Amino acid sequence: MQLSEVQKRFKDTMLDHPKALDDPPEDLAALFNVGDIPLPERLKVYRNNIVGSLTDVMIASHPLLEKLVGHEFLELMARSFILENPPTHGCLNMYGTDFDKFIASYELAKALPYLPDMARLEIAMNEAYYAADDKPLTADELAEKELKLKLRQNVKLLSSKYPIDKIKDFCLKDDPDKTMSVDSGGVKLMIYRPGLDSVIVKLEDSEYEMLLVLSRNTPLDEAVKATLNTHKDFDFQGFLQRHIELETFLTLKTNT
Amino acid sequence: MSVHLKHNEPKPNLYPPASPPRDPVGIGLRHPYYQEVTDNPPDVGWLEVHPENYFGGGAHRHFLSKAREKYQLSLHAVGLSLGSTDPVNEEHLRQFKELIDIYQPFNVSDHASWSASGNAHLNDLLPLPYTQGSLDTLCRNVERTQEYFGRTMLVENPSTYVAFAENEMSEYEFMNRLSEKSGCGILLDINNIFVQSFNHGYDAFEYIDGIDADKVGEMHLAGHIEQEVGDGIILIDTHSRSVKKDVWDLYEHAVRRLGAVPTLIEWDQDFPPLSKLVEEASKARDIMNRVLAEDIANAAE
Repeated sequence: MQLSEVQKRFKDTMLDHPKALDDPPEDLAALFNVGDIPLPERLKVYRNNIVGSLTDVMIASHPLLEKLVGHEFLELMARSFILENPPTHGCLNMYGTDFDKFIASYELAKALPYLPDMARLEIAMNEAYYAADDKPLTADELAEKELKLKLRQNVKLLSSKYPIDKIKDFCLKDDPDKTMSVDSGGVKLMIYRPGLDSVIVKLEDSEYEMLLVLSRNTPLDEAVKATLNTHKDFDFQGFLQRHIELETFLTLKTNT
Repeated sequence: MSVHLKHNEPKPNLYPPASPPRDPVGIGLRHPYYQEVTDNPPDVGWLEVHPENYFGGGAHRHFLSKAREKYQLSLHAVGLSLGSTDPVNEEHLRQFKELIDIYQPFNVSDHASWSASGNAHLNDLLPLPYTQGSLDTLCRNVERTQEYFGRTMLVENPSTYVAFAENEMSEYEFMNRLSEKSGCGILLDINNIFVQSFNHGYDAFEYIDGIDADKVGEMHLAGHIEQEVGDGIILIDTHSRSVKKDVWDLYEHAVRRLGAVPTLIEWDQDFPPLSKLVEEASKARDIMNRVLAEDIANAAE
């Protein structure tokens, strides 16, 4: 068997149903000398390493989901996700960016319709955490240059019809007897990393709209017009001041 | 071999230049140790990290930058999948090279194994048959990586739990030929040799004696677990325990043959206090010093 075929068969077996290891395909089994330890037990070492390590990665990046559904349920969901969506390359920092879509179609999670948005929140926090380092726009730069504002690489925008920021705070309170209503209205958020940790900022509708338009590389004057079209009360000066302070925008200086 | 020119823009030299560490024992810098290593740098000669954990930016790079101000660094990759019949991922190479340019490691390495097939990367060090065909594949990917980096790399012998019936040579012959053909150095993992020799029934000391001594640029030590399977036992390389006595004995044999090669204590799960890693590192240093003292005494006689 060609090496490429050996690797493909080995990979397919690792991602197959767990029971497939108990009775590996004959042509695969014929590749190995086994000795005292039967082949299924040997293959299980690999399978446990692969699925175990990836499950650990998924659980570590979803502490809020763990609080909401419990460790065992998250583990079950993560294992199914991993077998259907194995990583596509060798760096796992951003692994699992489709977990929200998987949860949305996961039958056992249908009773919790806000769960995909909570996954989106955690994915955004993770992406902000690992985003490349850059420097923020300062007020001085605004005075010097013609304006073209870009969001920093760590800025993520998220809109949910559930109060996912409040659900997060609820998760972190760690009081199992408390309950909260998830129907108190939606929220628009900016998730970003001003320092070393991901931070969540609640946004006004007009503010969210303006950032979203800017994120599509729209020139500043057009972005203001577009936002004023849909939000008559948009306060551009207040917006600019607040987001310079928050360090939302990328510096205009090159080589940073 | 031509040097890749894509990333040749001059970079400010932020850190002390790479040099072989004066104290040859190092430990793995992992997340739970970031603050302590920054605040109270432990008494070891160098640090090792997996470059994949530092792709992108943020807190991980912040602490790596702090650590590099005080220590020499070895970048030990787990994600290049050098044994895959697919070519090495160019984006992975680009991000890895960026770290090499910034942090100037004294060693750069990955494994003689594969992880990726088609569009799936399985995040484990999977076994290769030791054949001429595997050797050609591995050499092609190692050569591509060395060309991109503009430097030689080390390749490590993995732990394996299956042995291929079609093997045409022993693992140490495979590693020697890889080194000879691609020009890479060998990263000799002593624990992996012990685990392998137990799992597949060969002589670990013979392996050490067979390896090309002048090619070994780094050694690794780690703990493993014994797992009962039916009537037998299989050893699993977990990096979650202290180094076992048998592995220390094998290491001493390796030091006698190979000299004071930079040696790493690896620990990747069930993290103990940092002091435990420093203690293990001291043991390795003591073995090197004792062997060196004996050599000098023997030479004087």
